[in-house]
Amino acid sequence: MAGDEAAAVIAPRPAPPPARYRWGLLDAFWLALIGTIAVAVAWRSQGALSYNWDWSSVWPFIVKYDSASASWVPNLLLQGLMTTVRLALWGMLLATLIGLLMGWMRNHRRLLLRLIASSYVMTVRNIPPVVFVFIFVYFISSQFMPALALDTRVGQLPAPIQELLSVLFGPLNLINNFFLGLICLSVFTGAYVTEIVRAGLQSVPAGQSEAAHSLGLSDVDTMRWVIWPQALRNVLPSLSGQFIQLIKDSSLVSLVSIQELSFMAQDVQVSTQRVFEVFVLTAGVYFCICFVLSQLFAHLERRHGRSR
Amino acid sequence: MRIRRLFLTLGLALVGAMSALTAAHAQQDTLLDTIKKRGKLQVGFSSFVPWAMRDKQGAWVGFEIDVSTKLAQDLGVQLELIPTAWDAIIPSLISGRFDVIIGGMTITPARQEQIDFTAPYSTSGQGVAASRQLAANLKWPEGYNSPNVTFTCRRGVAGCKTVEEKWPKATLRQFDDDAIAFQEVINGNAHAVISSEPKPSFFTLRNPTRLFKPSNENIVNTFEGFGLRKGQPAAVAGFNDWINKNQAWLKQRHQYWFRTQDWASLVPNL
Amino acid sequence: MSLRDPVSARKPPPPQAAPWHRRPWWDAVQFALAAALLIGLTYHGATQMGYQWKWDRVPRYVVRVIDGEWLAGPLLKGLMVTIELALKASVLALLIGAVTAWMRTAPSRVGRALAWSYIELIRNTPLLVQILVCYFILAPALGMGRETTGVVCLALYEGAFAAEIIRGALQAVPKGQREASLSLGMTEADTARDIVWPQALPLMLPPLAGVLVNLVKHSAIVSVIAVFDLTTQARTIISDTFMAFEIWLTTAALYLCITVSLSLAVSALERRVRRRRW
Repeated sequence: MAGDEAAAVIAPRPAPPPARYRWGLLDAFWLALIGTIAVAVAWRSQGALSYNWDWSSVWPFIVKYDSASASWVPNLLLQGLMTTVRLALWGMLLATLIGLLMGWMRNHRRLLLRLIASSYVMTVRNIPPVVFVFIFVYFISSQFMPALALDTRVGQLPAPIQELLSVLFGPLNLINNFFLGLICLSVFTGAYVTEIVRAGLQSVPAGQSEAAHSLGLSDVDTMRWVIWPQALRNVLPSLSGQFIQLIKDSSLVSLVSIQELSFMAQDVQVSTQRVFEVFVLTAGVYFCICFVLSQLFAHLERRHGRSR
Repeated sequence: MRIRRLFLTLGLALVGAMSALTAAHAQQDTLLDTIKKRGKLQVGFSSFVPWAMRDKQGAWVGFEIDVSTKLAQDLGVQLELIPTAWDAIIPSLISGRFDVIIGGMTITPARQEQIDFTAPYSTSGQGVAASRQLAANLKWPEGYNSPNVTFTCRRGVAGCKTVEEKWPKATLRQFDDDAIAFQEVINGNAHAVISSEPKPSFFTLRNPTRLFKPSNENIVNTFEGFGLRKGQPAAVAGFNDWINKNQAWLKQRHQYWFRTQDWASLVPNL
Repeated sequence: MSLRDPVSARKPPPPQAAPWHRRPWWDAVQFALAAALLIGLTYHGATQMGYQWKWDRVPRYVVRVIDGEWLAGPLLKGLMVTIELALKASVLALLIGAVTAWMRTAPSRVGRALAWSYIELIRNTPLLVQILVCYFILAPALGMGRETTGVVCLALYEGAFAAEIIRGALQAVPKGQREASLSLGMTEADTARDIVWPQALPLMLPPLAGVLVNLVKHSAIVSVIAVFDLTTQARTIISDTFMAFEIWLTTAALYLCITVSLSLAVSALERRVRRRRW
């Protein structure tokens, strides 16, 4: 019938089935290469190190059975992991505050603010992270950490507040240690966040502020209601990337004896001599956290992008 | 205008606070009073078998732990152990991260310029363990003084200076930890390692096919003392007092940790 | 407003010079004063801690003059090792990056999977853990020396970033270029060599130069495996002489020299590329 033919023409044809992947020569080549390397490494490790894998000596360092409280309590590695997580969360918060302030100062009219912000960013970003950590810890911390005397002040607080603080910041006898690493990481990451915030502010078209001013909004109001919301929305992807970078950078403070995961891993490795197990475990933990977070952020970005 | 005034006042307040803090920190009670008021003795140390090491569960055990525990008990305060990287332990003491270094620290003139030591509470010596693979044919000790020979040591120990003085032509690689320094020699990446006895003997006993001791005598004999910040004579005197009173106990503990292997079951296999 | 005074005839009022306390030079002076105050406070604080500043003993660690001969001190020797490490690692990193970028775009599924897992592995683990794994696990297995391990580890680390940069630059070349050249009968290899890469190169050079700067910075991590680079030399000197502040400041200044000059060169390069004077 005419109607049917018309319908057949207008209705879309079903899509052809997807072409099957044709395994080619290149695939074979890569597989062969990987196979050879794996076999070679395994054979040489056996010979060169005569290594016996022994995971059983590593488990007690993750959780141990505490006879005093008759329960499983986290041991060194898990404690280190919790410290890393705390450092990352608080560090990002502090670094964002620093970065927001410095990022705003970076492009200010006044030369003084621009000088302060750019000297901060240029100094921190051009020194190797390792050197920065050493300098910061022994140079600046020796000035005000002892004066702050956090551990004595915290020791004088009532018990429920101490409980809360120990959940937020870790074991209270290590609170000096923790804050040292926290401030160091925040100042370091703050320089990178400054650049991100500056890029965000610059990404807002100039027309926005011009339009706001022509509508009679003051400088402060323009920033607050027009510029900053757009800038922050633009920088969220970069900030999430910086958060993952912070988790990785937290491993550097282990060089100054802050008791986070890498420090504990080296400690356990030295005590048990189980090099393979400890380092594979540590690398695996970092990988899981960072990978899961990066996939999560990518997923959120895509969802957020679609809805706009 | 208002924001500028705000920043100005904030800046001045910050400057004032910092100078007040540093000034306040400069005045100190005597160390022993501060410790008693705080109720805690903060001891800086580093992991150094068998001075201090982690047992199978991760708790700290060792000669220094015993000494610190008894000292805190006798002072009537709690003990807080602060493990610190060895090459950073003196700057950490000076900057006030802890009260005293009880970590088997050898008394050397260079260190005495920076900190004060108590009277010695133990004595030890430095020994060398060499790699069978690389150093079996080297003459002791002259053969080791060549640029082709690599010594390893832990960064900051007195042994590093000994290598620089006795074998100036040799290459010296410094590591963050003793175990890694020994591992380099065991793996054949270095010719010899210098460390405080009894570690060279322990490691040689446990790795007879890879290590040997070129000489059975100590290279240098050393004395260890507590390390304190300069300008605290009352504390030095007080600790010296304690050391004197506990000589017998100290000797007995030293014997247990250094001459016997009875504690070997506590720690993971090296 | 009157007819004798049309708007176009009125000149705008002359701009008033800003009062002296709002001029830029006063800002610069304030900054210098603030910096001096900060340095002074730190100095004062350190001295109060009982720290003895020994700046006069620092120059011998940088350079010494013995019998009229200029000898490099440990810090300068460490600097040379750092630069050498960075150069070798950057060449290797570019190689690894190019191969990985190719693998990611090549039609082989296994190749793409390998490249993707390499990049994700490197991007999601800390550099410190990577170098410890390289040194304690890979190096004995492959029989690599200390310096080689450092170079390889740094190259693997930066190679992942280089791969993403190269891939991005290659994909930024419009697809039409490749399609047009293929339709003209050129082979894939010729297309890549004569059409795509020459257009991608100016796009990838500034970020790759940034990779070089990052390499110099991250080379400090080889200090944990006792390679005699600048950071290791600094730590050794400090553990011998306890001049922590002076030596760390000198070391930081030496690093700043290299990285700042490299960064300035990178910015100049970026500006040239943008102005298409390439």
